[in-house]
Amino acid sequence: MIDFIDYLLGGISSGAIIALMALALVLVWRSTRVVNFAQLGQAMFTTYIALTVRELTGSWFLGLIIAMAAGLVVGVIVHFLVIRPVKRLDTSGAIIATFGVLIALEALAAMVWGGDPEAFPPPINNSGYEAFGRIWPFSPYDLLVLASVVFLVLALSVVFTRTNVGLAMRASAFNPEVARLSGVRVNRMLVRGWAIAGLVGAVAGVLVAPLSTLSPTSFDIFLVFAFVAAVIGGLDSLVGAVAFGIGTGLVIALVSGYSDSSNAPLVALVLLVLNLLFKPEGVFSHHKARAV
Amino acid sequence: MLRIDALSVNYGAVEALKNVSLDVPPGRVTAVIGANGAGKSTLMRTLAGLEKPLAGRVLFNDEDITGSKPEDIVRMGIALVPEGRSTIPDLTVAENLKLGGMWRTHAQRATSLTRVYALFPVLGERRHLGADTLSGGERQQLAIGRALMTGPQALLLDEPSLGLAPLIVTQILELVEHMARDSGLAVLLVEQNAATALRVAKTGIVLNLGEIVTSGPAREIAQDEELRHAYLGY
Amino acid sequence: MEALVQRFPGARLGVNAVTALVVWGLLTWVNQVIEPLMSYYLATAAMYATAMFGMTILLGLSGQVSLGNGALMAVGGYIFALTSMNWQTVPILGTPWNAVWSMVFAGFGGVVFGAAIGGIAARLRGPYLAGLTLGIAVGVPAIANRFPELLGGENGLMLQVPYPAGGYTSGDTSDEAVDDGGEVPLDEEPVYEELPDDFGDFDEEFTDEFGDELDSDPGDLSDEDLLTEDDLLSEDDFLSDDDFLTDEDFTTEDGFEAGIDEEIPEEDLLSEDDFLSEDDFLTDEDFTTEDGFEAGIDSDAGADLDAGLDGGSEASEGADITDPAADLDLAGVDAGLDAGFAIEQWQASMAIAVACVVGFIALNLVRGRQGRVWQAVRDDPIAAAVSGISPAGSKISAFVVSSLFAALAGAVFAQILTYVGPGAFTLGLSLSLLVGIVLGGRNSFIGAIIGAVILVWLPEFVLDVSADRGWQDQITNNAPNFIYGLLVVLVVLAAPGGIVGGIQSLAGRLRGQAKSSSSP
Repeated sequence: MIDFIDYLLGGISSGAIIALMALALVLVWRSTRVVNFAQLGQAMFTTYIALTVRELTGSWFLGLIIAMAAGLVVGVIVHFLVIRPVKRLDTSGAIIATFGVLIALEALAAMVWGGDPEAFPPPINNSGYEAFGRIWPFSPYDLLVLASVVFLVLALSVVFTRTNVGLAMRASAFNPEVARLSGVRVNRMLVRGWAIAGLVGAVAGVLVAPLSTLSPTSFDIFLVFAFVAAVIGGLDSLVGAVAFGIGTGLVIALVSGYSDSSNAPLVALVLLVLNLLFKPEGVFSHHKARAV
Repeated sequence: MLRIDALSVNYGAVEALKNVSLDVPPGRVTAVIGANGAGKSTLMRTLAGLEKPLAGRVLFNDEDITGSKPEDIVRMGIALVPEGRSTIPDLTVAENLKLGGMWRTHAQRATSLTRVYALFPVLGERRHLGADTLSGGERQQLAIGRALMTGPQALLLDEPSLGLAPLIVTQILELVEHMARDSGLAVLLVEQNAATALRVAKTGIVLNLGEIVTSGPAREIAQDEELRHAYLGY
Repeated sequence: MEALVQRFPGARLGVNAVTALVVWGLLTWVNQVIEPLMSYYLATAAMYATAMFGMTILLGLSGQVSLGNGALMAVGGYIFALTSMNWQTVPILGTPWNAVWSMVFAGFGGVVFGAAIGGIAARLRGPYLAGLTLGIAVGVPAIANRFPELLGGENGLMLQVPYPAGGYTSGDTSDEAVDDGGEVPLDEEPVYEELPDDFGDFDEEFTDEFGDELDSDPGDLSDEDLLTEDDLLSEDDFLSDDDFLTDEDFTTEDGFEAGIDEEIPEEDLLSEDDFLSEDDFLTDEDFTTEDGFEAGIDSDAGADLDAGLDGGSEASEGADITDPAADLDLAGVDAGLDAGFAIEQWQASMAIAVACVVGFIALNLVRGRQGRVWQAVRDDPIAAAVSGISPAGSKISAFVVSSLFAALAGAVFAQILTYVGPGAFTLGLSLSLLVGIVLGGRNSFIGAIIGAVILVWLPEFVLDVSADRGWQDQITNNAPNFIYGLLVVLVVLAAPGGIVGGIQSLAGRLRGQAKSSSSP
């Protein structure tokens, strides 16, 4: 039993981070009906930027802030590369374009920073809290991660539900024509969706880097996990992304704990397949599965 | 106020509108009627900027707005209530309304919102409920309300009677007519239900296969039996 | 053409067969005349082309964006490795052609896995399919670690490739071959450590007078840095009398003990007979060729002699004077070289053969009814269903066919690398296949071939450019991928039909007609 709790505790912060990554995917999907397979590549890139800033200034926080800004910018750039011109083409074009961006970003990162895995030290202590005479698999850094994710998710939900911009973005995602007829500049809202997704992904990348390694391809596996979480939650559902992001993190922790960590991707795939076969629109979606 | 000048629009390969010209003056309802496929919706969508005309111009307050984007046309003061229930069911009633006219000042929007709730009390009652809980007629009211929130000078109504009970249709259209007279709104009403439309309109324009057959005082057209039989189906 | 087929139903098959044979013949001839390095490129390109033909069908005709084909190459590669390793000497159905049988098993495995994936994929659209296959591509390399004994884990399995000349080679061969090959684009390239620029200073700073390396911060001497008793010289370190050779150490076979100072008896001394005299040397008379031509060592015919020593295929007459190494059981590489061909040539001929067979199958499928079925489902699944075609069935069949091709390509890949391992079948490989087909042109087999050539050529081109301009390794190794990524985005935006599509529309425009680029 104590093992079980340990595994869950160990999985919370990675679950929270996967929730952010899934959230980014859903944000982009809702605004433009595209799964941005380059999302985690963007996050990897901005995390390298954070590392560089940190090496130059010694401040993790400054690195985070600059990574967030870079995330906004990169998100906008990728949007224009993939969406604006591609919209007229079939969906497979958009998918292929995002993979093209992913390939280019990974190669660019390797050219600038090298392909070796880098260590990204946590800003605060990453060893477990001591309590009741044992060391728990939950550290001050895990607490920071959790707090950051909660804060970001709350901030986003406030923006989406209580601000005009958020309303305009939601409307643009649900029904772009009606939004246009209400005077909303829909294209701008789409760009903002990608920008915010880039920012969210950047935060996720900086948070996850100390928990694994940073290399041009080290976030590929997270793309898989985030995608699985987003799909199971329902690509339309922000709540679903968060809920199943955490769930995925917990499942991975349990799988890694009870068997082998290399089983985790396979388990995730099995869950994805089951979901696609039985509830393809996702658990939280109230739309029927769209014919893409 | 709103003038359409020799407008020709293709819908796919079909010539939906051929050389159509008409005026939409303020303070009254102008009705465009005709059978299905006559080109009425194409006219509306083109005015709203959702379709690009092949030839011709759209002039608003003597300014050429042909080819402008929909979101810009709305900001200029022309609001379209499109065919079908053009509300967003995922949002609440209030959110649907607040979607309109975000560029206006807080005061302007507050005034408009009060007015809309006064015109359509049921919207006020259900303001925090999802738009999907409304009936068909209520949703039509919501759609009109949203258009009004943009503070328009010209209101385009595309087949508001579709799928609604006659009583409700009459109610809504009479309300619109009152609004037009009271506030000087220029209303262009497009309808398959010619009878009701002609009752509230000052001027009637009959469209058939993309061309204007005749136009004149609504009462005269309503009384012209031959015309009605030939183009309006009654 | 169509009319011909109407009259002679077998005509299409015949035409395709002739096409495949002509291409095979052409490539085989090319393979013979080019140098081994080019043969290696040819082999790799043929291998990619084999997999690309599957992508043409899957992405081009059936319209499914899948990243799974790298994983299916892994399936084929591993099955080939396992079956050829373990069943080397077991004749199957009486035939000794074990490499061929291993290919068959690999293909079969591809079909099975392709059907399994296809069965799920057929229900998925667009991004869902892409995401699922992405997961497969990322997850599959990890499977090798699940069964380390069987699948070799992280380090993979070495192959024993049955080259014809020396029979089955020893495992040592693979080291050489791995050095020659193993170029997998979009992988994590081997990391070249950056050496410090002033290596000299390094030495100065970090060695002390004993020539030992110091810690960079000499202030922190640990116990290891201090001299202990063991470091000091003791008596044992010095030579003593016992270490020197004495008379007793010198004994001959006969039990003859010779001291350094004693006299050596006459029998043991070398005499004149022991030395070579003139008679012992070969003269011109000793050299006769078949034609009775006597050649001196200095005359032109010496070339024949030389040739005989170097090239087995030419050394028919000088059979006695061959490389003695051939008699030794050295690595089969040498044996192969002496047998008159290079390993790369053999690899290329094998890869070409597979590619042509696969191409033949592909041509038949695509130019026949099945090709139209695939396109119909891609363009309008509902209309297709109404016409009696099962959209799911058609998607699955496209998957199965492309998986078969991918598995065969994987088996060829395994033979080129003489190695299979997780590192050879990464996500990068799947992405390469996508890149190749998109750049070359997804709707045509020519596009597939162009894509394969690009995948082989561009990294080499970049290497050349970087050699001229002195680029750092990390730039050289990753520039191709960067270019691929940008090109893919560009192609999708501006020229969705890839190079072939671009040429077709250019040709169409020149002809003043709009040409559809939907048939291969």
